[in-house]
Amino acid sequence: MISAGTFHVITTELTIGMFALSGVAFLLCALQRGPESRESVAHWALLGGLISTPFAIISGVNAVQGDGIDNPILANKLLLSMISAGLAVGILVRRMWGSEVDIRHSSVGMISVALMLTTAGMGGEYSRGETLLLFIPKDTVMLFPIWASIALLVIGIAIVGKSTIQHRS
Amino acid sequence: MRFKVAFVLLLMILSTTISTANPGGKGDAVRSRDCAGSCHASSSTNGISDAELDIQYPDQVYAGLLMEIQTSVSFAEVSSNNMAGLTLLVNTDGAKDLPAIDGWEVVTDPNGGTNNYVEVVDSFSPESMVMQSWTLRAPSNPGNYELYLAIQHGTPEGGIAMTGISGPKQVTVSEVPENLPRLSADWEPVNTRGLGEETVITLETENTDSATVEIKIGGEISTVPIVDDKFTIPAAVNPGVVEWRVILEGEGPTQTSPWFRITAQEAGWEIDEFALYMQGFALFLFSLGLVVLQRPTNGNSKERKYDNTEEVASQFGRIQSEATQAIETNAQGPPLPVGGLPAGWTMEQWEYYGHEYVDENGGGAQ
Repeated sequence: MISAGTFHVITTELTIGMFALSGVAFLLCALQRGPESRESVAHWALLGGLISTPFAIISGVNAVQGDGIDNPILANKLLLSMISAGLAVGILVRRMWGSEVDIRHSSVGMISVALMLTTAGMGGEYSRGETLLLFIPKDTVMLFPIWASIALLVIGIAIVGKSTIQHRS
Repeated sequence: MRFKVAFVLLLMILSTTISTANPGGKGDAVRSRDCAGSCHASSSTNGISDAELDIQYPDQVYAGLLMEIQTSVSFAEVSSNNMAGLTLLVNTDGAKDLPAIDGWEVVTDPNGGTNNYVEVVDSFSPESMVMQSWTLRAPSNPGNYELYLAIQHGTPEGGIAMTGISGPKQVTVSEVPENLPRLSADWEPVNTRGLGEETVITLETENTDSATVEIKIGGEISTVPIVDDKFTIPAAVNPGVVEWRVILEGEGPTQTSPWFRITAQEAGWEIDEFALYMQGFALFLFSLGLVVLQRPTNGNSKERKYDNTEEVASQFGRIQSEATQAIETNAQGPPLPVGGLPAGWTMEQWEYYGHEYVDENGGGAQ
């Protein structure tokens, strides 16, 4: 039987590989250089990375010793990956709505990829105590009060709802 | 360009060094011995440890009951951090070698956990012997069993991962006498606790008329009263280990349990997980909203990229208008010759080809 740790390695490498490919393709899009297929590669790889992300998260949670989130790095990983996933979904939705892949669109895509790669780097810090990302917060978590999270949630829902209605009209 | 890329790649490959991958250890865990190869580059790069390894069993080991073993490591020359990884195994195969395979259960490892692999920092040296205690639950089936003690550590110079494993250490697991005073088969000791909190332990015994609990704190052994099968271990002010054991008396031979260890630890880092998940979900939606906030400015650009309808339509319109003008220009044809239509010509032919006739006949139309 495959342990959660081994399965986590597989899913993580899938996720990171696809996000990294997407990031390179978005960079080419921003530079307006490279093959014509760069736009398709960027978005399809981003979609692939997004699909494999939940598997990486679930296997990662199961692979961790102890109960729940008992380390600031794990908490920061969760927050960063959620922001990254939100940006990635937004990018794909915009593309589905027919957005042009301009410098702004590509930049947001690259930010999403960078956040996901940073999340992976934090995994290295957590499991091995080593990472190239020296700026990663190891002891600090910016946790909002519940009311602030709810307010942010409502704003997010309102923006997404409004944008969807505008797009359909 | 290709040559430069290949050169850089070659340089990067050549710059790698073979070294111990985890000089600071990887943490206690339930591990097979094959980890020694996979965690430290190739197993072919490992060295053979000079350490002498031994396991000492109690005089009598009963099936399914708790017991304490002592492992010893002598002549180990480790790295500067004085760390060595010790693994309790049931064979030397490198796979399917966990104690649980033969029915052993690690109840308390030397670090207060329940792992068969522990990383120990102690005074390892070629002149010293380091002893560690493990509390195990023996296999439930009587018989002869073997345990092995494996070690992995660095070297004072660094760079090489040293591994070693003891020979088989045999033990005979006996049937439990019917009237033997003992702790219940499903009773588990407490291994850890927080600072500043008392620990109440409930004993579950069988065939026992009376029990006495001894606590060892700082080398001193004292007796603790038992009330309703419960006793209390005083709170710890600082992180550390408290050992205790119980002496069980009944009709059968008196039994003394192994020393159980309770490790007092500082409270771990905690966070309100509901608030964290709520914030994570809120950030997800907010990030999504920020990206889709501005509607696409160049709608359907990709479709329009390959859509040449407008260009084709304009070209077609231009061609059509030019053709119409040409038709209108030539519709009446040149003026008729003085004698009327040339012989054999129709009016329609004159409208279209009359100008050729005029050119050939020198403007006779006038």
